[in-house]
Amino acid sequence: MTLDRGLRWGPGLLAVVILALAPLLFSDFYLSAVITKALWLGIAAVSLIFLAGYAGMVSLGQVALYGVAGFTAANLVMADGGSKVALNPWVATLLGLVAAVAVGLFLGAIASRSYGIYFLMITLAFSVLVYFFFAQVTQLSGFGGVNNVELPSIVGNPLQEPARLFYIALVVSAVVYVALRYIARAPLGLAFQGVRDDPERMRALGHNVPLLRAVAFGLGALIAGLAGILSVWWNTRISPGSISLSQTIDVLVIAVIGGLYRLEGAWVGAGVVSVLENWLRGVDLVGNRFNTVIGTIFLLIVLVSPGGLVGIWGSATRTLQSRTSSRPAGDTAVPPNEGGSHALP
Amino acid sequence: MRKPGEGRPSRLWILLAALVLALAATAAACGGDDEEAADTGAAATTGGGEGTGETIKIGIFANNEGPFAPFEGQTWGGAMLPLINRGATPVSDDPTKGVDDAVIAGHPIEFVYGGSDSTPDKAVEEARRLVEQEKVDILIGPLSGSEGIAVANYSKEQPGITFVNGISGAQDTTLKVRSPNFFRFHNDGTQWTAGLGDYAYNELGWRNVVTIGDDYDFPYSQIAGFVAEFCSIGGNVSKRLWPALGEEDYSSFITQIPEDVDGFFMGVGGTGTVAFVKQYGQLRGNLADKIMGGIFMTDPVILKELGSQVEGVVTAGMTAGDSQEPAYLEYADALGAAYPDLEGTASSVFAYGYYTAMEAVVQGLEQVDGDLSGDQAAFKDALSNLELDAPLGTIKLDENRQAIMDNFLQQIVADNNGDGVPDVKTIKTIPQVDQTFAGFFSPDTPSPDRTNPECKKATPPPWTKQGGGG
Repeated sequence: MTLDRGLRWGPGLLAVVILALAPLLFSDFYLSAVITKALWLGIAAVSLIFLAGYAGMVSLGQVALYGVAGFTAANLVMADGGSKVALNPWVATLLGLVAAVAVGLFLGAIASRSYGIYFLMITLAFSVLVYFFFAQVTQLSGFGGVNNVELPSIVGNPLQEPARLFYIALVVSAVVYVALRYIARAPLGLAFQGVRDDPERMRALGHNVPLLRAVAFGLGALIAGLAGILSVWWNTRISPGSISLSQTIDVLVIAVIGGLYRLEGAWVGAGVVSVLENWLRGVDLVGNRFNTVIGTIFLLIVLVSPGGLVGIWGSATRTLQSRTSSRPAGDTAVPPNEGGSHALP
Repeated sequence: MRKPGEGRPSRLWILLAALVLALAATAAACGGDDEEAADTGAAATTGGGEGTGETIKIGIFANNEGPFAPFEGQTWGGAMLPLINRGATPVSDDPTKGVDDAVIAGHPIEFVYGGSDSTPDKAVEEARRLVEQEKVDILIGPLSGSEGIAVANYSKEQPGITFVNGISGAQDTTLKVRSPNFFRFHNDGTQWTAGLGDYAYNELGWRNVVTIGDDYDFPYSQIAGFVAEFCSIGGNVSKRLWPALGEEDYSSFITQIPEDVDGFFMGVGGTGTVAFVKQYGQLRGNLADKIMGGIFMTDPVILKELGSQVEGVVTAGMTAGDSQEPAYLEYADALGAAYPDLEGTASSVFAYGYYTAMEAVVQGLEQVDGDLSGDQAAFKDALSNLELDAPLGTIKLDENRQAIMDNFLQQIVADNNGDGVPDVKTIKTIPQVDQTFAGFFSPDTPSPDRTNPECKKATPPPWTKQGGGG
């Protein structure tokens, strides 16, 4: 069906073309401060969406995990502040990711037996703990953070040549997206979804549910870690302010606005929030009331479409399709309502 | 095994992504319009007439979130005053709305509003937006210590733009970063403490003290100055306490202050100052004879809140609220006349810091007739050599573009003028304090932090009794 095919493939092609040409279409500032930021924030949000949508764990610890990766990497290279270690930036990057995964697995092991509000509280407590750890341990950061972080040469100077980091973030985003879709359909991903839908039955079938949940959390930590590394490259600095509670809330808001049960919602949400933040700051009446606007959008989304913007789009196209054909609507990796009833307390 | 339908991944989301990007494009394209909506400036020459030259864009940002947000009005009021004094008119009683008819050397001035939250990340993000998107020619800000270090570092990436610090007071901002296009026309936190160690040791007879300050770069700098001076004479700092910035419950820190110390230096700032003083009163009783304050204690807004419980406290800083100098009275009257809400806040460092920044910018632009060509070389040169005849004394810059100016040792005394707010009495003026603090600090000394500088005896600074001063 032409319309169906157009709705399925057209947007993809358009997005690919626009993103590939983004450095030509947008100013350097916009490319860096809005689009690249949206890409790495999207990666942070997709780690949450993956956990929420596929493993039934709404984690508030993703920002703390990206902080672990970011602070580890920033401390292990030449920088102002932090430890005096100066390793190769790639080695530091790798160690940052390893640290995030290790902490993620550890936290996952602790939190894997709790569900619902208790899981939420454990991850929130972890988030606050990581924030204060880096704020208080001045040998590793302190309030002012680690500044002028040395970056791998491939990144160049993100202020002067933002296109490089944009393409890196784009490639990482694409790889993360494809990998998560793949994992979602691999036996491991199906086991995660089994745990999400009915942990008791999975246990009865012989699966080690806490282990599966811990592994999912470790995987989420790896993705969050990638976002943390990219954020350090983007900012050339990291400070506790980068991983404060408000950033945790921002990532949750991004995931909900985009669609908490669809991977692509992460980047949609991050894109919308970044664009709005940049645009609204220049509007005289709104200016410093950006959070009020985002909060209102958040409330509307929660009330009108729990599936987020992606959910709204899904229902809109389904309506369109049902008018033009009798064929049933397209698939959804995780039906919003189904995922919602399990993931949220 | 795949579920039916999973082999056909939906691509609908991609259209949404495209729409988002299209929105992004629209927003980017509309940037110009938005700027105009946000801009509050317009036209005429310095001292009257119509501006015919090219418009000069000035970005101003302080904190509109976080522990220093309550001071935003003062910062903007201070920044607008030099233009109001030259014929511009305030748009409204809210200083952040800017002024109309601002013209310098025939160039109309446009303002772009910005705001951050005291974190370095947000400050750089906002500086980038103002410089790279709004295309300001001159940026005035930021407000807070750690923000200043980050923005000064960022300024090195933008050599064609002139950055003038707002009121962020970390020492490293100019002493270590030394960006050629970053200027600070007020003293740093360390310089603001000149005279306090001397007073504590020689007048109050303190020998053993504790310091307490927020755990970030500005209080590090402030306490560094007190420690350097007090210890150089022979005093001992037995403990340094560092609550987090924005802390609300100081009780656990207050109980860590030993009962038997002679006194303590209080460098808790922002919204924390009032909370700390009130909680100290509840836990330990009267603090007036036990405390020495940083610059926040004499801020008019905080003083009003604290009232008589801080009478007797000695502080130091770059403003003297009791000054009777005609230039100061004129400045204070003009601020109150322009913005009724800011009546009585002229001695706030937030107002005075942003005032000196804008006054320097205006005088610099007047010297070069608003010529910002050639990466603003002439303008930057004018700023570097400017001797600013400010309401509370001359301000000139050192080779790191850091102010050298007078510092005032003051005491909070009972209200005499009937406004219900304790008054401030200047005890001593320490002339032209420079950033090295009489040789204690240099680009090679460790940055002030939780433990630096060490407390050790040294050659006392010249303004102390032991150093040969009064």
